[in-house]
Amino acid sequence: MAQNITPRNFIEMSENALLQINSINVFYGSLQVLWEVSLDVKSGEMVAIAGANGAGKTTLLKTISGVLHPAKGRIEFAGTDITNTNAYDIVEQGISHVPEGRRLFPEMTVLQNLFIGSYNRKAREKRDENLARVYELFPILKERKNQLAKTLSGGQQQMVAIGRGLMANPRVLIIDEMSLGLSPLIVNELFRALKDIKARGITILLVEQNVWRTLHEADRAYVIETGRIVLQGNAHDLIEEEEVRNAYFGT
Amino acid sequence: MKLLSDLASPIVIGILMGGLYVVIALGLSLVFGVMKVINVAHGDMVILGSYLAFSAITMWGLNPLLWLLPSLPIFFILGILIEKYLLHRAAKMSADAALIIAFGLSLIVQNASQRIWTPQTRSLFTTYSMTTFKIGNIYIPLVYLLDFFAALLVMAAVHQFLKRTYLGQAITAASQDRQTAELMGINPSRVYQIAFGISMALASIAGIFYGLTFPFNPQSGNPNLIIAFGVIILGGLGSIGGTFIGGMIFGLSQTLGGHFLGPTGQQLVPFLMVLIVLTIRPQGLFGR
Repeated sequence: MAQNITPRNFIEMSENALLQINSINVFYGSLQVLWEVSLDVKSGEMVAIAGANGAGKTTLLKTISGVLHPAKGRIEFAGTDITNTNAYDIVEQGISHVPEGRRLFPEMTVLQNLFIGSYNRKAREKRDENLARVYELFPILKERKNQLAKTLSGGQQQMVAIGRGLMANPRVLIIDEMSLGLSPLIVNELFRALKDIKARGITILLVEQNVWRTLHEADRAYVIETGRIVLQGNAHDLIEEEEVRNAYFGT
Repeated sequence: MKLLSDLASPIVIGILMGGLYVVIALGLSLVFGVMKVINVAHGDMVILGSYLAFSAITMWGLNPLLWLLPSLPIFFILGILIEKYLLHRAAKMSADAALIIAFGLSLIVQNASQRIWTPQTRSLFTTYSMTTFKIGNIYIPLVYLLDFFAALLVMAAVHQFLKRTYLGQAITAASQDRQTAELMGINPSRVYQIAFGISMALASIAGIFYGLTFPFNPQSGNPNLIIAFGVIILGGLGSIGGTFIGGMIFGLSQTLGGHFLGPTGQQLVPFLMVLIVLTIRPQGLFGR
């Protein structure tokens, strides 16, 4: 069943968490965007964060990957405190962030974009191995490897973005608005790829406005509203939850 | 036929001299592309490179080309220090602050040069300074040829570095999207230091070849800066090929302008070209 957060089940859920976020407050300047947000992701899970536009989903992801830092609270990854670690150091520890809007390096080729994903020292050693896996996942990228990123279609760009994220050799892959602006066919293909990635033991944290779809794909989900986690639980249970149905599916 | 044979000389000289302008412009272009800082001290750094070579020649009788070996690391390290302790701090405040720091550096280098080397005009005079080749009816000074080959070498080296190394790709990535570069594990502060260091090393190469080609004094930096701006505007930012074409156009319009319109044309035509490109294609011929 979906549950509202209580201290007790928070502790329960925290056991064996790979990524653990403990009541963080995040500000943009003087504007508070996240309020006491807690969340945890266990190794091997696919966890979704669902919510409307402007709810703070992207901010939450940016705080996890170190682009932003919380004013209060604590973020732990694999037992290490990463609350104030720089974004460029967090990658090497094993969190790879696929940003909203793909954000490929437009004037670089597909292959160069993938290679730069393996910039961190640990990933460099496994570069060729990871590249082979990315090509296996998205064969089209092998065909397009020498094409400039900006010349690809939106779907292919998203594949490069996910591939680039995987090249960092992550334990957790964070993906922000993967399906935004893409056709349902492509979205299906991408979700299939996510299942593959998960089957390889990589933990996935997914943010989506496409709540319906996300809840069907994820193991667990958090629903965020105006900067606060309002619901959390097993993704399939959340689909049945009345509040979710009313807010997102209009039924 | 007469016109053609008359033009051969300004064309060849224009292209060769354009090579020197390419080397001067590359460092400026790199720093602007990566850090979005207009390093108005770049021309003065070039001349500082000329002066240090001048001292090395007069004190130790070194061949200026041999002086390249110590000059490159000296300028590279100087660049890293300037970025780390001055520009970086200023850039954190605002882009204007970084510009003002660069302007301050320009004044410091100009006045220090005046103090150390006097306002007198100098040149890097060597045994081959006066050597010329005669090809057909054209006399080509050896140093012009050196300028051109230096340009080709420097371009190839910078291109290979940016394309083939992780660090070079990190610089390229950071210049296209800084925040995403951070998500790749790239430390932007480090990238900026390296980029500025390389830009300074390029300035020192430019300085040595400039000194071999033209006489210089402490005020020679600003004209160089303006030429570098012209080259970048013509070719477009962020493309080494574009900078090369920009340098060629600038050199050619100087010599051809001089050929047809006299010394006024030599000054006027290149900047007229810059103006035309700015009007028709503001991002430069090869710009994005």
